[in-house]
Amino acid sequence: MTSSKTIVLRSSDGATFEVDEAVALHSLMIKHRIETGGADSTTIDVPEVTGNTLSKVIEYCKKHVEAPNSDDLKSFDTDFVKVDQAVLCHLAKASYYMNIKGLLDLSSKTIADMFKGKTVEQIRETFHIKNDFTPEEEEELRKENSWNLFV
Amino acid sequence: MEWDSSSSSSDLSGDDDGGVGFLLNDGGPLPFPVDTLLQPAPCGFVVTDALEPDNPIIYVNSVFEIITGYRAEEVLGRNCRFLQCRGPYAKRRHPLVDSTVVSEIRRCLEDGIEFKGELLNFTKDGTPLMNRLRMTPIYGDDEVITHIIGIQFFTEVNLDLGPLTGSTAKVTVKSSDPFRSSLLSCRLTPDGTRNSSIGLSGILQLTDEVISLKILSRLTPRDIASVGSVCRRFYEVAKNEDLWRMVCQNAWGSETTRVLETVPGAKRLGWGRLARELTTLEAAAWRKLPVGGEVEPSRCNFSACAVGNRVVLFGGEGVNMQPMNDTFVLDLNSSKPEWQHVKVSSPPPGRWGHTLSCVNGSNLVVFGGCGTQGLLNDVFLLDLDAKHPTWREISGLAPPLPRSWHSSCTLDGTKLIVSGGCADSGVLLSDTFLLDLSMEKPIWREIPVTWTPPSRLGHTLSVYGGRKILMFGGLAKSGPLRFRSSDVFTMDLSEDEPCWRSVTGSGMPGAGNPGGKAPPPRLDHVAVSLPGGRILVFGGSVAGLHSASQLYILDPTEEKPTWRMLNLPGLPPRFAWGHSTCVVGGTRAIVLGGQTGEEWMLSELHELSLASSVI
Repeated sequence: MTSSKTIVLRSSDGATFEVDEAVALHSLMIKHRIETGGADSTTIDVPEVTGNTLSKVIEYCKKHVEAPNSDDLKSFDTDFVKVDQAVLCHLAKASYYMNIKGLLDLSSKTIADMFKGKTVEQIRETFHIKNDFTPEEEEELRKENSWNLFV
Repeated sequence: MEWDSSSSSSDLSGDDDGGVGFLLNDGGPLPFPVDTLLQPAPCGFVVTDALEPDNPIIYVNSVFEIITGYRAEEVLGRNCRFLQCRGPYAKRRHPLVDSTVVSEIRRCLEDGIEFKGELLNFTKDGTPLMNRLRMTPIYGDDEVITHIIGIQFFTEVNLDLGPLTGSTAKVTVKSSDPFRSSLLSCRLTPDGTRNSSIGLSGILQLTDEVISLKILSRLTPRDIASVGSVCRRFYEVAKNEDLWRMVCQNAWGSETTRVLETVPGAKRLGWGRLARELTTLEAAAWRKLPVGGEVEPSRCNFSACAVGNRVVLFGGEGVNMQPMNDTFVLDLNSSKPEWQHVKVSSPPPGRWGHTLSCVNGSNLVVFGGCGTQGLLNDVFLLDLDAKHPTWREISGLAPPLPRSWHSSCTLDGTKLIVSGGCADSGVLLSDTFLLDLSMEKPIWREIPVTWTPPSRLGHTLSVYGGRKILMFGGLAKSGPLRFRSSDVFTMDLSEDEPCWRSVTGSGMPGAGNPGGKAPPPRLDHVAVSLPGGRILVFGGSVAGLHSASQLYILDPTEEKPTWRMLNLPGLPPRFAWGHSTCVVGGTRAIVLGGQTGEEWMLSELHELSLASSVI
């Protein structure tokens, strides 16, 4: 029984994850690090990403590398992004940094869906964004950005 | 560890205007705008109350919040030492924090003197940072220290935070430019005001690139308008013209966007403004368009279509019902547009009641119609931009039945769709055929369906949503009789087995058509596709006494498609049937012809301009 090579990924808060090299290579950033790294390319630091997020990223990579043609890949993806908006944004940030296109597209699309058809206030509520405009600016914006049909 | 001010590494005092002086005022309340006087590179700024026990924080600036990840609300009232603990739940100072520096800080505070040094700190999510710190006591009256001001320069640290057994921790300070680091990917709002929900709001921690290209680009123009009003950061991101272009392209399709781009530079509104105007139609208006030249001999029942900013006209019925076969072009790019006869080789046989469509960039395709020998089903193609434009026949296998007064449209700019019309002996048709003109040898293909709407002539086919077609109106068969129709049917050609559906999706009798103020039934009317999928209808031979020049609009992509009346400034064409219309440059619907009794008007066109033009 041959054991494939494993890589250790280390998050910003020191959590370590041992993964198959093939899974780790799903991240083009890690692939690049390994290819250009020196002798010590068995442990890769991922200081942009916390342990919680990295664990989820690895879960995504595992599924997509180990069973890319499985029938339930689509439902896996759908369930994978049924998370809080903060977690989604961390996933987007991590997949951007780690250059994992599939996960970046998946998380971005899900975040985009959370904007659709919402009013300004609803967007602020969903993403916990504070209104940092002055009342005068708000009035100007209201005129500029309220698109009324056939007025 | 003493701060050595003569060391070669950069230090804070070299950058400001020399010491504490800039912080002093007349002894009154602390000047909070002070942080805007600091040097250009952003740094954290903290003020503590020295009169309270243990120096609680009373103010932090937005840089502090962004970099440490702690919001003001979370840290006010606490002593700064929490930054030496790793993460929000740790109770003790992290072992890698240099305790001699901590002692030095305490000593300086006790002695009432300034501290300068470097100390390891941690963000809320545990990322290590090197804090180049300067703490300055502020004296009130009676030589009593009232406040301490802390200025922090944070830099990334490459720290081995692995297992504690045995290994020596290595601490290296990376490049001295703290804000190039991708760690600090959050940008400050233009005037430094804070968006204080940083701790909870994940989305603002994403880079502009991700927000813009990956998230916002998927939204409709209308949603982007809302996004721009949410907060300062989004306002800046949503102003970007490249983002708007992507949004327009995603909303309207690349074909439409390409056409919009070819409008001469001087008249370009900018994608943001264009998106707004094409959505709200706030600048839409009718105007008269006088043109020069002549289409001689005069005729009716010709067909016209747009090629970029040019209008092309072919054939028609001349005096004595003679079918014509000449080609005319009107260049609307010119400052004085005028009709010009195009010298072409081998024109098709003359005809009227045919269709003319634009495919493959600057090519024109003619199909069907009635010629001298009866109904036709031939296909002719002309490259308008060729050096010597020549009509050539496309002999396709198994062509549709010869017909006139059918309707056609083009899909993807390469495929001709033909539907319905009137065949020999006056039989009305209801079939749908497709001819892919991107192929070397195009072949006609009938689209097989289990059910078709009642057969008809004089109806319109409009393309929307990329590969969907919408059929409206016409003179439709109903048993042995024929009636003008105002029915709407759609078909999605991206499906494996496309089928005709009522636009509302309902199969119930009477529920298939949109609600709202529907146009009275008609044939020979004009239908214009707007970017984004809406359809404009006007004119035609209308049943009863209704005015034909009322404009109607329908959005088939809505959940409950509803007809609405559209009242625009300017005068629509008075006589409104037998028109031909085409859309030039994506935003101008040019209406040609229209019977005024004897004459067919071709010297004064009407234009429905959908967006402002910067002329």
